[in-house]
Amino acid sequence: MIKMGIIKTEQLVHEFIRRDEDQNVESITTALDHINLDIKEGQFIAILGHNGSGKSTLAKHINALLTASEGTIWVDGMDASKEENKIDVRRRAGMVFQNPDNQIIASVVEEDVGFGPENLGVPTGEIIKRVDESLRAVGMTKYRNHSPNKLSGGQKQRVAIAGVVAMEPKCIVFDEPTAMLDPNGRREVLKTAHALNREKGVTVLFITHYMEEAVDADYIYVMENGKIIMHGEPRTIFSRVDELKAHRLDVPQVTLLADYLKKAGLALPGGILRRRELVKGIVKAGWNAAGLSPAAPEDGKRSRKQEESGENGQDLKPDAIILDHVNYCYSPQTAYQIQALKDVSLRIPQGQFIALIGHTGSGKSTLVQHLNGLLRATSGHIYVDGKDIYDEDYDMRSLRGRIGLVFQYPEHQLFGATCFEDVCFGPKNRGLDQRTVELRAFEALQNVHFPEELYYQPPFDLSGGQKRRAAIAGVLAMKPEVLILDEPTAGLDPAGRDEILELIDGMHRELGITVILVSHSMEDAARYADRIIVMNQGTVMYDDVPKAVFSHYRELEAAGLAAPEMTYIMQELKEQGLSVDVDAESIEEAGMSILEALR
Amino acid sequence: MIRDITIGQYYPADSVLHRLDPRVKLFGTLVYMIALFCFKGLLDLGLITVCLIALISLSKVPFRFMVKGLKTIVVLVLITALFNLLFTPGKFVIWSFWKFQITDTGIRNAFLMTLRLIYLILGTSLMTLTTTPNQLTDGLEKALSPLNAVRVPVHAIAMMMSIALRFIPILIEETDKIMKAQMARGADFEHGNLIRRAKNMIPLLVPLIVSAFRRADDLALAMEARCYNGGTGRTKMKPLCYDAKDRRAYLLCVLFLAAVIAARILLPFPQ
Repeated sequence: MIKMGIIKTEQLVHEFIRRDEDQNVESITTALDHINLDIKEGQFIAILGHNGSGKSTLAKHINALLTASEGTIWVDGMDASKEENKIDVRRRAGMVFQNPDNQIIASVVEEDVGFGPENLGVPTGEIIKRVDESLRAVGMTKYRNHSPNKLSGGQKQRVAIAGVVAMEPKCIVFDEPTAMLDPNGRREVLKTAHALNREKGVTVLFITHYMEEAVDADYIYVMENGKIIMHGEPRTIFSRVDELKAHRLDVPQVTLLADYLKKAGLALPGGILRRRELVKGIVKAGWNAAGLSPAAPEDGKRSRKQEESGENGQDLKPDAIILDHVNYCYSPQTAYQIQALKDVSLRIPQGQFIALIGHTGSGKSTLVQHLNGLLRATSGHIYVDGKDIYDEDYDMRSLRGRIGLVFQYPEHQLFGATCFEDVCFGPKNRGLDQRTVELRAFEALQNVHFPEELYYQPPFDLSGGQKRRAAIAGVLAMKPEVLILDEPTAGLDPAGRDEILELIDGMHRELGITVILVSHSMEDAARYADRIIVMNQGTVMYDDVPKAVFSHYRELEAAGLAAPEMTYIMQELKEQGLSVDVDAESIEEAGMSILEALR
Repeated sequence: MIRDITIGQYYPADSVLHRLDPRVKLFGTLVYMIALFCFKGLLDLGLITVCLIALISLSKVPFRFMVKGLKTIVVLVLITALFNLLFTPGKFVIWSFWKFQITDTGIRNAFLMTLRLIYLILGTSLMTLTTTPNQLTDGLEKALSPLNAVRVPVHAIAMMMSIALRFIPILIEETDKIMKAQMARGADFEHGNLIRRAKNMIPLLVPLIVSAFRRADDLALAMEARCYNGGTGRTKMKPLCYDAKDRRAYLLCVLFLAAVIAARILLPFPQ
């Protein structure tokens, strides 16, 4: 036999069969549809695709957690479907899961890392050695005696990775390990995966829906509807921009800009992946770039935002919320005392779209919980429509109706027997009559474009994106004047993320709701917000229009945040001597400005 | 509020108590509890107090942490004290009204009961603060392993315990979050009569249970992926074995109990 790769599949099919109570087949979902893979040892493979594309199902096959309906999968030459190979397959192909909390078994970091080797029956002395080595490999030695609960998301994932490394697998499957992390955590995990691949020669299968995480892979597979629809080296894949867009993948801004410039006739090489390549390419191509004409902007969405924000800057509407020297302290007078907010003063006028940006622990979630009275400031005042909400006779419950707060992962609060019933919860609590309650629920569900056939379905069976819509409708049904959303796109794939953001933008425009969007993402803020408030260590670092905030990109970086990719590209081009507009936010603006400068 | 429970919260430090074998600590806690409920007289009380203070200072756990555990039982302590105070018959009645009476015995009993409860919480907290939940379950697993012979799945029980301990803080945090989210939708968890309040808990409990199941699902998969296959063929990263200090600690425990019993028999006064 010819030597096969470490993972090989042949016509692999997996069907999820749903049965009713009498064991009759209700529906069949084909999660994997005749997959053929052959992965060589020592490679770094990225698998891209949306939620529901079958990539997680594939991962579970590699780990023998699922058994194929048809076809075969071999892991290191062993047939994974055979019961007697199961343990051997799992020790050779380890797996890191999406949720950092739900895969850590022990209450102390090092004991968790030792869990795998314990299961394998490794002798005690050897376990300690492996734990030491694994923790070192992921850079978590310092935390070995800590409780996982006190770690950040990225650190928890690194512990989980160490737990797999300690089993000394030949191959590690990462099943969307970054989906629930903030940008810093994502970088940590990706870096760790690459280091393991490089230094220990471990084969890595990195499943993700973020394309920029696939840039440094050796080979990329793109999945959709259980099939592999594209595969190739990053450069080849990234040069097929139109196809990627058609599959609603999240093409990195560098690649999009390169594609735009190329279409305008600039002589750039195909498949540009990194910022440096693009800047170099543009400067080089600039020499013979006379007589180029920029393509017309694709849509008018962006220019609209510009006009509007200009208006808003002129005549400010009355303030909906005023924060006056607000301080907040968690667990005062204990060892865990944290000053979460320090002297925060803000004015939030009606009708604005504000992005509240900051890394994890910067105080942004604490801040928004003050706005509807869920947390009470240690000192300072908050005025809503001119009234101090800390006055004794202030009606807190009506405040919560007027300032709607959508928490992170809002779908986790769904409880109703049907989606409709769940959405009714808010208005019902306000003591409205049945008719008004139902009317409001209908309206709210319509406003989030929730499909009508799902109104009377239990919320638990829906897809992630639909659940989130239902949960947002639950807050919207209270008819808030201000809508605060705490990372409404966390954990969604790029297509789901764009849909939710468009939805919020639509509500802002059509219903005139004041929106406060809490986010890690400068890109989202740049696209939608009139104003950006940057939080850092409990204080307001910047509070201005996006362009002005991004001009401080170096300071933002020092605070653990990054300006949008576009800002960096334009700044670097400027340093290269091109007179480009460094404030450009969209691809079209940037592209036109570059072409202009080259001419 | 619910965050303040110290039981099951390990305090990392490097002390003799932290390094002791969990089985010794379990045994010690048992001895301590026996001592608490059979002591009599000031000498015994003094003996126990001195031991408790010595152990607390040995543990290097700040005293604040232990006191925090006490806060949660304040109500229980008050009720017990009140009952003892008002309903104990005795020789000298100091004050009486209808069925209530305060007597000398009542005052003494109330005082002793309060002290016992406080000492009990302090002592057991001391164990859980110096022992990681995993060590604790390891200790229990090993100490109870003879029960395997009568088909008690000791390993599975120990595993369940350690997982429960790991997820308690996560679920508490989640409860807090869901509660706030429902409050943001106008839910009210504080007002109304008992039935109403119980009904108001549904929006909290349903999501919590759903989430617990989801986590259980994920965790089971993660454990399987890491080759967990029940207790057979497993080795231990930190196997329990006694050394000299553990033997000394056992000896001290026995001596302590003997001293308490001796003091009870020889010097039970003043009661």
